[in-house]
Amino acid sequence: MKKSSIFGIIIIAIAIAVVISTYSNSSTYGTFTEATETKAELHVVGQLNKGKELYYDATKDANYFSFFMKDKDGKECKVIFTGTKPQDFERSEQLVLTGKMQGNEFHASKILMKCPSKYNDNKLNVAEATPKTATL
Amino acid sequence: MDIAFKNEHLFVGDLGRLFVALAFGGALISFISYFFAAREEGLNKDTSWYKLARVGFWLNSLAIVGMGVCLFMILYNHYFEYHYAWSYTSRSLPVYYLISGFWNGQEGGFLLWMFWQAVLGNILIRKAGSWEKPVMTVIALSQAILGTMVLGIDLFGARIGSSPFLLLRNAMEGPIFQNPDYLSFIKDGRGMNPTLQNYWMVIHPPTLFLGFASVVVPFAYAIAGLWQKRYKDWVKPALSYGLFSAMILGTGIIMGAFWAYESLNFGGFWAWDPVENASVFPWLTLVAALHVMIVFKNTGHSYFTATFLVLISFVLVWYSSFLARSGILGESSVHSFTDLGMFWHLVLAIIIFLVLSVYFLVVRWKELPITKKDEDTYSREFWMFVGAVFLALACFHLIVVTSFPVWNKMFGTELAPPTNVVKHYNIIQAAFAVVIMFFTGLTQFLKYKKTASNTFVVANFIYLGFAALLTVLLYFVAGLSKLEYLYLVVIFTSLYSIMANGKILAEAAKGKFKLAGSAVAHIGFGLMLVGAVIAAGTSKVVSENNTGEQYSAEFAKEENPRENVLLYRNEPIEMNGYSVTFLGDTIEGAQHLFNILYERKDKDGKLVEKFVLRPNVIQSQDGMSSSPDTKHYLTYDLYTHVTMTNVLQSKPEEEKAGHEEQQDEDKNYDAPMAHEVSIGDTIRYRDGVIVFKGVNKDAKLQNIPITDKDVAIGAQLEVLTHGRTINAEPIYLIKNGSAFDFPKKLEDAGLKLRVTKILPEKQKFEITVYQQPESKKKFIVLKAIQFPYINFLWAGVVIMVIGFLMSIFRRNKELKTT
Repeated sequence: MKKSSIFGIIIIAIAIAVVISTYSNSSTYGTFTEATETKAELHVVGQLNKGKELYYDATKDANYFSFFMKDKDGKECKVIFTGTKPQDFERSEQLVLTGKMQGNEFHASKILMKCPSKYNDNKLNVAEATPKTATL
Repeated sequence: MDIAFKNEHLFVGDLGRLFVALAFGGALISFISYFFAAREEGLNKDTSWYKLARVGFWLNSLAIVGMGVCLFMILYNHYFEYHYAWSYTSRSLPVYYLISGFWNGQEGGFLLWMFWQAVLGNILIRKAGSWEKPVMTVIALSQAILGTMVLGIDLFGARIGSSPFLLLRNAMEGPIFQNPDYLSFIKDGRGMNPTLQNYWMVIHPPTLFLGFASVVVPFAYAIAGLWQKRYKDWVKPALSYGLFSAMILGTGIIMGAFWAYESLNFGGFWAWDPVENASVFPWLTLVAALHVMIVFKNTGHSYFTATFLVLISFVLVWYSSFLARSGILGESSVHSFTDLGMFWHLVLAIIIFLVLSVYFLVVRWKELPITKKDEDTYSREFWMFVGAVFLALACFHLIVVTSFPVWNKMFGTELAPPTNVVKHYNIIQAAFAVVIMFFTGLTQFLKYKKTASNTFVVANFIYLGFAALLTVLLYFVAGLSKLEYLYLVVIFTSLYSIMANGKILAEAAKGKFKLAGSAVAHIGFGLMLVGAVIAAGTSKVVSENNTGEQYSAEFAKEENPRENVLLYRNEPIEMNGYSVTFLGDTIEGAQHLFNILYERKDKDGKLVEKFVLRPNVIQSQDGMSSSPDTKHYLTYDLYTHVTMTNVLQSKPEEEKAGHEEQQDEDKNYDAPMAHEVSIGDTIRYRDGVIVFKGVNKDAKLQNIPITDKDVAIGAQLEVLTHGRTINAEPIYLIKNGSAFDFPKKLEDAGLKLRVTKILPEKQKFEITVYQQPESKKKFIVLKAIQFPYINFLWAGVVIMVIGFLMSIFRRNKELKTT
């Protein structure tokens, strides 16, 4: 066999390996029910329950923020985020949380929020909050 | 019914729209004419198509400049009847931010792209010579397609493109627009996104867009080469432009990283955000393409790979635009670009260039100069080729993961990106980096065509050994034990590459100057990787906080210390060897700066270092944006940013006199405590002590004249709090038989002091202390991160750009001599 053919096969093998590893690393957009069933981290999409209290008091704990979110199925769950309250959080229209269940509470490690702009409802601003720094 | 609107400046917008149409028309004429001119090449002497093509392109260029001038007039004069000016600027913005307002909207981005493409087109018209007609056909086509993006016309019910000259009343609906005098109600624009109010936003987008725009040139040469069957000739001129493109695009991307590091609260310089990734795709494939082009130029091998990589780079530029602008990344990106209704328009643009590339490759397939002979394993070009392919594979991985929302849309799946996406990218990309850096070192020991294997193996082992030694040294000096094994290998291969290329550079100094450019670029790239791995891998949050709700010992085992600390004004805390004090805030324009004093003392308590960092927060468009401030040291950076504050929410307190308001104001304090004290007594309170030093019998009051019958007594108090001493003198006044007291407020200490009674029989004063509750006191929540050796990263970038420049000069010289 020619050397270039061997090389070609290696390249294709690496490409396939990349796709498989990516796929196995991928997660799903789930619900709180699914989060209760699995121990792993996952993404939950939902909406902030603006009727319930958003709790953040920097003078008591600068790294504790809790709120209630309804997932796609309408199930509500208390969410705890170990960080400061993201700016303009109250105005968010949709939230994408990354995290896992601990007891009856969902511990979010990341919050991605979409905020409608005040003047123009079809325009969305997206902002992200991450409590931890990027570590290698 | 038509309404005659008052005070609108319609002329400049009409002119702008005319220029938009002219730009598109000019590009279209140029494209068609260049196409026929290129086909008729050599057939006859008629040059009318050729002349028309050039005129068309010049018309396009002029119209683009006209568009820019019109848009600037609108922004500069605050014509808020235009949607663009109203959406992205306000009267309070300084002129230099009006320039960044230019590219705040997507339309401005397209305008910038068109402008640079026009500049490059004009350079090609002058310089391309026999290549002008076919190359400019492709450029004019690209220019025409870009032109459609800003057309903003309705055709068969569909809006094509989005014009920057759209009127506000056409962009939005509202009862206000029924009023002919509606403009008198629109006093100001919405202002600029606070993250864009930064000097990096004045220079980063133009650089990035020049990079994006310039990828079209090698693409056009590759297409022209296939079209005109000049299969081999196109590589040489395309190489110079490709190097330029890679240099500028790389600079633009890193400027973005630097912007993120210096003024965004990303907590670092690279977050693997989808939009960040998208800008890297074309850079990676382009750099791979450059290497394979050199391989082809020297050996005649790898023709297809070189062409393919050049073609795909430009397609990826469009794909990158699509990701950033179509709104498809809504659930995974922090960038707030949104859909302007151009989703399918952008898809169509990608398809046009993709089809064009595939068409020419398929049609010319049998004629392509593809060699059947195998390459020599000991040749430089073979391993250059392998390295370039790995670069393309790294890009492939980035595309696969970044495009998750695209796969979901295409296949109806609901895949979410990996939960720890940063770690995922870091690990896989680090593995590719190991291979790529190894090859950039290895190939330096090989010669084109064939290398003697013995000397090669010996030389290689020596350098590998040195690199290993240096890695071990760095391991201890920079404290790399935190790093995973894989990242140490990245550092090892990068050091190996730096040394191998250093050897080439040393030889270059002796006369073989030709190879110096690539050696310098490789050294820069290696340094960049070393810096990035160490800085990101060993960065440490120094604002550690182990207190707070739910923070039990058990909890602490699972979670790292929390990363935000609370700082009350003038109450220093200890942080990473520094004593850190929040001194207060200053307002400069739109910026709200927080002055944070860092002091470091040695063992004997002597002050050795003192500096103030000023992170800031901008409030605009109903949002807040926090920017860090960084103290730069040679070996590390100390990065500080404000994540939360109650300073901005509280309005400046007005002087209140009335009794009702007085009571109202007292709500800002805890329940008052009255103390009966004599001179020399001490009052204790939560944050310190108050010493009653003496009595001032001649107290003066502003605005209130004191006659002989009146008595005004001031209590001289000394407040000792958190190592500071503040003097205060509340006053007690008896005037016309009535008693009044004038409290003293100490904002800094969160105190209000009153003399509420004088007890002559006891020789005592009643002093009432009002203390602000913790939550009413001014505070900031702060996060501080230490980034070690980040200067390697920035230095590496500068060196790499110098290397690219040297290579461009070399390739240009070659062009002239042949």
